Amino acid sequence: VGFLLAAAEESEGFVPPSAEDFVYPPYPGMPDSILFTKPVVQLFFSVIIIAGFFLYVTRRLQLVPGRAQFFAEGMYTFVRNGLGRDIIGSKDFQPFVPLLFSLFTFILVNNLFGIIPLIQFPTMSRVAFPYVLAAIVYIVFNYVGIKRHGFGGYMRMMTMPPNVPAWIYPILTPIEFASNFIFRPITLSLRLFANMFAGHLLLLVFILGGEYLLLHTPFPTNLVSIPAFLLAIVFTFFEALVEVLQAYIFTLLAALYIGGSLAEEH
Amino acid sequence: VDGQRDPVAPPARGGDGWTVITLLLAGVTVYGGLGWLLDRWLGTELFLPVGLLAGVAGAIYMVYKRF
Repeated sequence: VGFLLAAAEESEGFVPPSAEDFVYPPYPGMPDSILFTKPVVQLFFSVIIIAGFFLYVTRRLQLVPGRAQFFAEGMYTFVRNGLGRDIIGSKDFQPFVPLLFSLFTFILVNNLFGIIPLIQFPTMSRVAFPYVLAAIVYIVFNYVGIKRHGFGGYMRMMTMPPNVPAWIYPILTPIEFASNFIFRPITLSLRLFANMFAGHLLLLVFILGGEYLLLHTPFPTNLVSIPAFLLAIVFTFFEALVEVLQAYIFTLLAALYIGGSLAEEH
Repeated sequence: VDGQRDPVAPPARGGDGWTVITLLLAGVTVYGGLGWLLDRWLGTELFLPVGLLAGVAGAIYMVYKRF
């Protein structure tokens, strides 16, 4: 963002934020590769935060939980019961709790980076990260489905909707196939990516716009920066909500897809 | 860790509103795409709108059947 401000000062005109603001150069002194950019460092940082926190809490569990233990247990119970057991079903959910819990905490922390001061960049607004997460979910729900029902049974379940007359299958099967095998992973990853991307862009518009109005416009006009900054604060809280919600929705859909693959044939 | 809720809750099956989105997208692209290909092949401008409508109709029918 710094170079953008510098550019704005030089050109004496407001440069609106764009998709280019999401592309970070490698850190100075690092090889010219995507492996040493800010989002990647955030990714590793998030893993350290999550693993560190939960290891710290679980090492010193007490019968009467302290604040950190209460928080950790609450989050675990929420994912285990609310997303695992209630959606995948009490018979099968247990092997998937680690996956769901990792997905939820990982996405949550990386999303919240978007509004944490000094970091202020949601990792998932780089589309490669949601792609990989969706690919993991895609592999898992297809694998467990084929393992449970066999390849033929699984394909029948995923492409032939129940309760319709037989002559209509040639028409509906392509739709069901595309819906389950092509659009599921696409919408899963793009929903997360687009929400984070748009939210960050929104904050950039209000904050950079406010900065420009305040510092680069004459007296009566620069007062307009006050509502701009107020809206930036409002939208920061709104982003906090969206970031938590998107982490929840991604995990919810992962659980729904896995649960759907494991469900009984009809 | 277990709460007081029913321990043998049945798994959710297709009961998610999110399926509607993927079904509609799939219907439009599959039959819209088919119509577009037919149009390119035959040099007409008829099958793309027909395919789009047919795809939407099929998707809505499936949503109706599912819920």
